[in-house]
Amino acid sequence: MNLSFLSPLFLIGLGALALPIIAHLISRKSGVKKSFPAVKFLISSQGDLATRSKIKDIILLILRGLILVLIVLVFAKPAVFSFSTVQENTPKSLAIVIDNSLSMGYDDNFSRALRKAQDLIDSLPEGSFALISPLVPNNEQEPFLSQDKTQLKKVIKGIKLSYSFTENDKRIEDIYSKLQNAPNEKKTVALITDLQKNGWENEEFLRSWLEVIDVSEGQEASNHAVSRTQLKYENGSIIIEATVSNFSSDSVQELLTRTRLGDEEIREFFDIGPEDKSAKKFNFSMDKRETPSYGSVETSQDKLKSDDVRHFIINDQDHFKILIVDGDPREDSRLSETYFLARALETISELSDTNISIIDNDSFLDEDMSVYSLIFLANIGEITPRIAKELEEFANNGGTTVIFLGNRVRAGSYNTLLKNILPGELQNLQENRLSLLPEDSDIFSKDINEKVEQVNIEKLFNFAPYPDSNILISTTNNKPFLVKKDHGNGSVFIFTSTADASWNNFPITPVFLPVIKKIHDLTYFAKSKRRNYLIDETVNIEILQDTESTIVIDPSGQEFKLSFGAPEFDNTQLPGIYSVEEKGENTYKFAVNIDPKESNLEKISIPTIESNTAQKGGLVKVFKEIWRYFLWGVVALFVSEAAFRAIFSQ
Amino acid sequence: MSNSILDIETALRLKGFYFRTPSKVKGYKAGIHKSYYNGISPDFLDHKEYNKGDELKQIDWRLYGRHDRLYVKKFEDEVNMRWCILIDKSASMGYGDNKSTKLNYAKKLSATLAYLLLKQGDSVGLLGFSENDVEFIPPRSGSSFITTILDRLESFKPSGTTGIKEPILKALEAYSSEASFVIVSDFLIELEAIEESLKLIRHSRKEVSLFHVLHPDEIDFDFRGSVEFQDMETNVKVIVDTGSIRHTYQKRIGEFIERLKLICHENETRYVFSPINKSIENSLIQIADK
Repeated sequence: MNLSFLSPLFLIGLGALALPIIAHLISRKSGVKKSFPAVKFLISSQGDLATRSKIKDIILLILRGLILVLIVLVFAKPAVFSFSTVQENTPKSLAIVIDNSLSMGYDDNFSRALRKAQDLIDSLPEGSFALISPLVPNNEQEPFLSQDKTQLKKVIKGIKLSYSFTENDKRIEDIYSKLQNAPNEKKTVALITDLQKNGWENEEFLRSWLEVIDVSEGQEASNHAVSRTQLKYENGSIIIEATVSNFSSDSVQELLTRTRLGDEEIREFFDIGPEDKSAKKFNFSMDKRETPSYGSVETSQDKLKSDDVRHFIINDQDHFKILIVDGDPREDSRLSETYFLARALETISELSDTNISIIDNDSFLDEDMSVYSLIFLANIGEITPRIAKELEEFANNGGTTVIFLGNRVRAGSYNTLLKNILPGELQNLQENRLSLLPEDSDIFSKDINEKVEQVNIEKLFNFAPYPDSNILISTTNNKPFLVKKDHGNGSVFIFTSTADASWNNFPITPVFLPVIKKIHDLTYFAKSKRRNYLIDETVNIEILQDTESTIVIDPSGQEFKLSFGAPEFDNTQLPGIYSVEEKGENTYKFAVNIDPKESNLEKISIPTIESNTAQKGGLVKVFKEIWRYFLWGVVALFVSEAAFRAIFSQ
Repeated sequence: MSNSILDIETALRLKGFYFRTPSKVKGYKAGIHKSYYNGISPDFLDHKEYNKGDELKQIDWRLYGRHDRLYVKKFEDEVNMRWCILIDKSASMGYGDNKSTKLNYAKKLSATLAYLLLKQGDSVGLLGFSENDVEFIPPRSGSSFITTILDRLESFKPSGTTGIKEPILKALEAYSSEASFVIVSDFLIELEAIEESLKLIRHSRKEVSLFHVLHPDEIDFDFRGSVEFQDMETNVKVIVDTGSIRHTYQKRIGEFIERLKLICHENETRYVFSPINKSIENSLIQIADK
């Protein structure tokens, strides 16, 4: 509510306020002068009354001054006003866009925006059309033009606060385009917003048809939020690193933050400087958890509550296991076929917490391959049909097989038994001193490709790759050295030489570790299933059996059936934990969180807004005259003044 | 000119009254006042043995017949009285409208009293006073002396501050023998000074009568609104809201009058409250006898 005057020129009359003051000062100096013989009695009498008289004078002065001020104000016609759309008699078409982005959840901004929208509807002239639309679109029906104010107000009531944001410029343009079919000539879009910066690409509001109404009333909002959670696995523990951001200009002291995982809860206090963030680690023991679980990080609530919690899912990456089959084991492990390979993988596993098992050829015959994600076969001489079949299944289920050759390998046996998974056909042995050359592939980095030339090959199998395979590294005489082939959900890599240094110097060059790590990572990330999403992201639901019987349950408990043949789920409008169920059984969960960008309540620069406000011709002030109350005030003051004088003159 | 301050009508109405002193005086001329001196008088006082030089006509022959010794009769003597009228002519006495000032009232009262006193055979002196200005006319008797008194009264103009001690001392100096003092003033001075002066007079075994002359404005304080008052003698200024101060002022002036009355009573002095709206007759009658 703002105050204005309909006849402000009368305010000049406030100068009359000086009159009682001057009169008061004059009366203190002279008044009526008279010679009198008994002044000494007056002086002694006045002593008692001086204070009383002074108070009386001051009160009378104030009362008379107020009377004058109120009289002047009555003539100046004070009125309170609020901004509203043009109240012309000519009908118009108005689109009211209510900012329902997450930041509007701050304090009561959103409810104020709804009230403002109702006011705008009330102020529309007869014959006008309006449409109501949220700024962040939801799955409700499309906005429609209507003249029915009751219907429009019903639409306003139905608008819900979103947990997301949108591209504001584009959205407003879209809504304005919907007005084009409206019958009235004057078409305007009124955007009721908190002016939060996120979502605006172009901060210019200079559109002749756009009126911006700031519901935040210029107040500076302060907010903190859980902006990130990161999970690590170390020594049988899950370490959850929570980052809390402070988006205000004041520092935050001792902000209580609770991390919950299952039944366990760990509390920490954060001290965060202004416009800064702080991260702390919450360490949970893995012993108690047999299956992947979920949890949350939550801070003490502020005026924007929705970003004070962040959910996470414990991934099942701890199932990533590596099997190394050594076809030529030795007592002195340094002489073993897999010595360099095992050292490289041990180094890599320290980063990813993977489990490595090393077995010999005999043990391999009885090994269950399904528990592994990555299998290295180094100079394996004996391949049975059962092994070959299991390796094929392993590849079909997404496993990766890496084959190194050697003197125990029988090319014919490989070509026959592993025909379905091999990237090509093994041929004769070639003994020739060769160097390596990188192939044109985007798998290895430029750095690896440059160093590949340091590798010298003494002996290798000639290899004829199949058309569906990829040569990743070859020799200087154009013989394949590393070839890859995708099979089922997995893949097969084959090195045409040994894993040890007997046929080449590959394992002792700086290229070995990066190449092995790359193969490891490709498998690791292919196996790693995404479980954490942002609001409005589309989730590819992993279907184990069939789509028909798969449902997704959102945090509110609402169930969504997946469309046939399209295991995509895009109803991720609520933050929280979602469950995927197949045939009534929970298969896995995933977490949906809000985008921390919306937590920063920084506003669009004010000068831009002000310059636009000057141009927003469509908005007018709706006045409510209040001068009558001032008139009553004058009467009341006159009565008070008379009563006061009567009391004091007694 | 003189007639303007002499209220003849009042004087005529008071013709049957006498202004006496309550004690005996040593008069040297026959009058209405009891004298300490014995002489020819209808009132027998005592007998004494005849001595050489006593008048033979005063011998009580009847007593001689009974006692065979000569006694002479002693009679009370009635003598005249000397009066001193002290009139305050300070600036404060000038308060009032044109002719009805306090000083005019005091002049009329003094003139009428002097007229009546001279008529009853007393001698009358006049002393006009303010703080630094004392005008004195020595006492004389005889009706014709009224003219001198009236002329002098007429010349009195209000000026200066009120001071009572100096004029009293001067009067006492002039009236060494028995006398009666009449002081006509507004007495707007410290009560202590008045009390001291009265004690001086009483110590000299002289009678005193006070005529306390005030203007009704000084008693009722019937003013309206905010007024800046300036003292007529000290020029001190004060701004007062008359409405709010009236009650307190009336209380203060009332207290002053009561205390003055008390001082008069303690010093065997007759006090006559004489606001100028009170008739001269009513004021004078309070010190007169039938």
